[in-house]
Amino acid sequence: MIFLKYDRRIFQNFDWTLLALVLAICSIGIINIYSTGFSTMSDVSPLYLKQLQWIAVGLLFMVVAFLIDYHAINHAAYIIYAVSLFSLVYVVVFGHTANGAQRWIHFGFFLFQPSELMKLSIIIALARYFDDHKSNEPYLLKELLIPFIMVIIPFVLILKQPDLGTALIIAIISASMILFIGMNWKSVTIAVVSAVVMMPVAWHFLKDYQKNRLFTFLSPESDPLGTGYHIIQSMIAIGSGGFVGKGFLKGSQTQLKYLPEQQTDFVFSVFAEEWGFVGGLVLVALFLSLIIWGFKIALHSKDLLGTMLSFGITALIAWQMTINMGMVLGLLPVVGIPMPFISYGGSAMVSLLASIGLLMNVSVRRFLLLR
Amino acid sequence: MERQFNLGNGPAPADFQQKLKIVVVLLVLALTVLLVRLWYLQMIKGDELKLRSESNAVRFRNIQPIRGLVMDRNGSVLVDNRPSFDVLYMPTKGVNPDMLLQKIKNIYETRSLGFSSGNPFPKTVKPYLPVRLEKNVSMEKIALVETNAVDLPGVYVDVTPIRIYLDGEITAPIIGYTGEVSKEELEKSGEDYVSGDITGKYGIEKMFDSYIRGRRGNELVEVNAFGKVIKNLGRIDPLSGSNVVLTIDARLQKAAWEAFSGFTGSAVVMDPRDGSILAMVSLPSFDPNLFCNGIDREQWQKLQKNPLTPLSNRAISGQYPPGSTYKLIVAAAALEEGIITPSTRISCNGSFTLGNRVFRCWNKHGHGSVNLHQALVGSCDVYFYTVGKMLGVDKIAEYAKRFGLGDVTGIDLASEKKGLVPTREWKLARMKQPWQIGETISISIGQGFNLTTPLQLVRAYAALANGGTLWRPRLVSRIVMPDGSVVKEFVPEKKGAIQLHKQTIAVLNRALWGVVNEPGGTGKAARRPYTDVCGKTGTSQVIGLPQNEKARRAQKITAFHKDHALFVCYAPMKNPEIAVAVVAENAGGGGAVAAPIAQKILNAYFDGKKAKNLPLRQPTVTDS
Repeated sequence: MIFLKYDRRIFQNFDWTLLALVLAICSIGIINIYSTGFSTMSDVSPLYLKQLQWIAVGLLFMVVAFLIDYHAINHAAYIIYAVSLFSLVYVVVFGHTANGAQRWIHFGFFLFQPSELMKLSIIIALARYFDDHKSNEPYLLKELLIPFIMVIIPFVLILKQPDLGTALIIAIISASMILFIGMNWKSVTIAVVSAVVMMPVAWHFLKDYQKNRLFTFLSPESDPLGTGYHIIQSMIAIGSGGFVGKGFLKGSQTQLKYLPEQQTDFVFSVFAEEWGFVGGLVLVALFLSLIIWGFKIALHSKDLLGTMLSFGITALIAWQMTINMGMVLGLLPVVGIPMPFISYGGSAMVSLLASIGLLMNVSVRRFLLLR
Repeated sequence: MERQFNLGNGPAPADFQQKLKIVVVLLVLALTVLLVRLWYLQMIKGDELKLRSESNAVRFRNIQPIRGLVMDRNGSVLVDNRPSFDVLYMPTKGVNPDMLLQKIKNIYETRSLGFSSGNPFPKTVKPYLPVRLEKNVSMEKIALVETNAVDLPGVYVDVTPIRIYLDGEITAPIIGYTGEVSKEELEKSGEDYVSGDITGKYGIEKMFDSYIRGRRGNELVEVNAFGKVIKNLGRIDPLSGSNVVLTIDARLQKAAWEAFSGFTGSAVVMDPRDGSILAMVSLPSFDPNLFCNGIDREQWQKLQKNPLTPLSNRAISGQYPPGSTYKLIVAAAALEEGIITPSTRISCNGSFTLGNRVFRCWNKHGHGSVNLHQALVGSCDVYFYTVGKMLGVDKIAEYAKRFGLGDVTGIDLASEKKGLVPTREWKLARMKQPWQIGETISISIGQGFNLTTPLQLVRAYAALANGGTLWRPRLVSRIVMPDGSVVKEFVPEKKGAIQLHKQTIAVLNRALWGVVNEPGGTGKAARRPYTDVCGKTGTSQVIGLPQNEKARRAQKITAFHKDHALFVCYAPMKNPEIAVAVVAENAGGGGAVAAPIAQKILNAYFDGKKAKNLPLRQPTVTDS
């Protein structure tokens, strides 16, 4: 097991900054989830405790993802991808349904959401593909056929669940990685044009409630029912926070449960109500530092594989965070994308922390010699 | 211009650096936009939004749709809706629920009215969900609440449509009832229901709920501190449910109910030409209107604990030994298998001996030497003991299954029972004991392990009547929109065929005619002038007492141990249009009790045909 061979330098060069940033953001998340569950504390297992458990499990995965050399993980890239794909298919056939969507697999005491795993798997698989097919020239459309297929299958499966948000994230991350490694300008144009042409077809596949959400976004206060209600309540919560916020556990919108989905998609509204603009600024600053740090790792990686992996992971965090905030602030349609490390959710937390482990992996091994 | 892969090491690091610079610039730009927006909401609109959060006055309200009507085959309304006035309370700041409740009670007290329920407040009152204080209140109470509105912040009167079952218990076992959606149903259904929705709980109301229900509407309103609506922020109108048109004929249903009154059991009327159910009564029944406003515990307990199980539909879930009505199947099997011909004669001297056991004929003097026709007409047990023994249990079971016994008929109602057609294999698996020949003897006259539902019986006889087709019983003919356009049409569905030779059917037909119309026939009580009625009586033992023993104890037999009276028939003999099965529990002999009930139903049908164009019951116009 050469990949697990002990090397002093792994620990000497450990990326403490990255760990500190992630733990800081996770702590904010826990404090915030504690607040959302505060008024219903009588529950047997409060959400914040569950989330702490998930962070513990996630840290375990992070350590594993860190210790195994990412080149070894690269060998298993397609296997990881296949397992994720299989679990997505499994969900379609046997999955657990909640709130009208079929997204989960029952594992005895917890529900596993394969689409979260797929986010990481598609990054690993694409990194592997581009590492195997290196080119000094920007890629042409026909050279991207296989990556396209790799993306479109999970995209359609997740869209079917239906989970528009996660499907979009998969597509956006993949597009980001492809643009990052370089794509022929003519090919980019063709791809964009055909995507626009495909729009009406995709529209056909959307569920009614998803269409409604998009309509609602286009004319916000005209339909204050359903999603309109979410957005209005979210904006009231955020706005009422003011400059310094109402204080921990003092958010009336949150505590009185006016705010829907407050542990998941709308978790930032809770935070902004209780901690105000100052809190929001701190959180954004932390995320920005984390993302720039991730890009730095991508840049300093000693090989293309490491660059692509760390770019993909960082882009995932950046996109999710930005879209979620935009959605909660009423700037983007409500498509159901949670905020990384802050929103409640076991599968997402574990897969995100595993991604961070991978990022540390790349960060540390730039100091090591190649095999 | 073919380009190969693996030409290099990928883009140069400088290239990546360039791209990452652009990415970071874009990211910082996006985050700036988000922070500006955050600043705008929190600093510029902050005070306004803070005010709104403090008196969060935006309230979300569900509007219940009007459920579809249920109509009979002629369009006469069986289930309608009427408005119900409820007193609701929207949780309001600074109001103590207990004090409020006391205030309402005091106001009621002035007119010596009582508050109908206990404490209606749930453990956790959500600030945007109204609590229903009282359901279906009188006009007097409405007036009191409205005039004292100033003293009762957050209290208001709301109108919701509720069900009214015009034929009450007559159609209850078929149509069922509605109620508020339960916690389990809420969890199972995902997003279909919300708490407080009305859903079908039983019968047609349940099975066709997705059509009848309609779509919930909702509205969002802004209210002032007194809970008064000051601004309507948006409304989605509810969509009325579709109407269900049954195959039931309301007049015949009522006639069947009246004919059956005083007995416990069930009568089913089927059109043998397409399997449509024309009437289906089950007694005792219940009043579905009790459920409309939430049945109270006491009444529910009473229904639940009644030993006569009024909440079950005996037509599909009552399982009875078929008694002599089963002889039709044994006769069909014997003819088809060549064990007898129509002229085969068997001598009946009143009993049949197997080893040291004696099986008696119901006629202790014996029928003498009889052929098949005479055996059916006189319902001779010894004839069928003899034939049944020659056939064996498994051959009888084969034919019983052809007639659709021992399996569900597939009617559109829940909790239909399968009945039981015993076989050797079944007994070995179920009781771990081999089949006894004596049991075959009991089986041959529909006793022993045999169990059938009234619906199975009527369908089996209808199959003989129509020349062999086993229909899936049809209870709903179509579903139509309130404007009359058809949503779904339920066409007659063939489930199988009894596969008998034409001559066999002809012989049996003539024998069943004889049962009703020949001297000595056991079913003469069902005779009608000008109509050729064919039928078969049955008297099934509730407990397997030996005949002589039973006779000895006859005096002591309690009501629950009396025989079930059965009669199954169809008419007219040529081109039958109606088949009837009557099962009266613990009522006595089939010919004496069940046949007269069937005759009344036949009379209602044939007399009703002459008197067409009676006025139909129209739906009331309800506004929501």
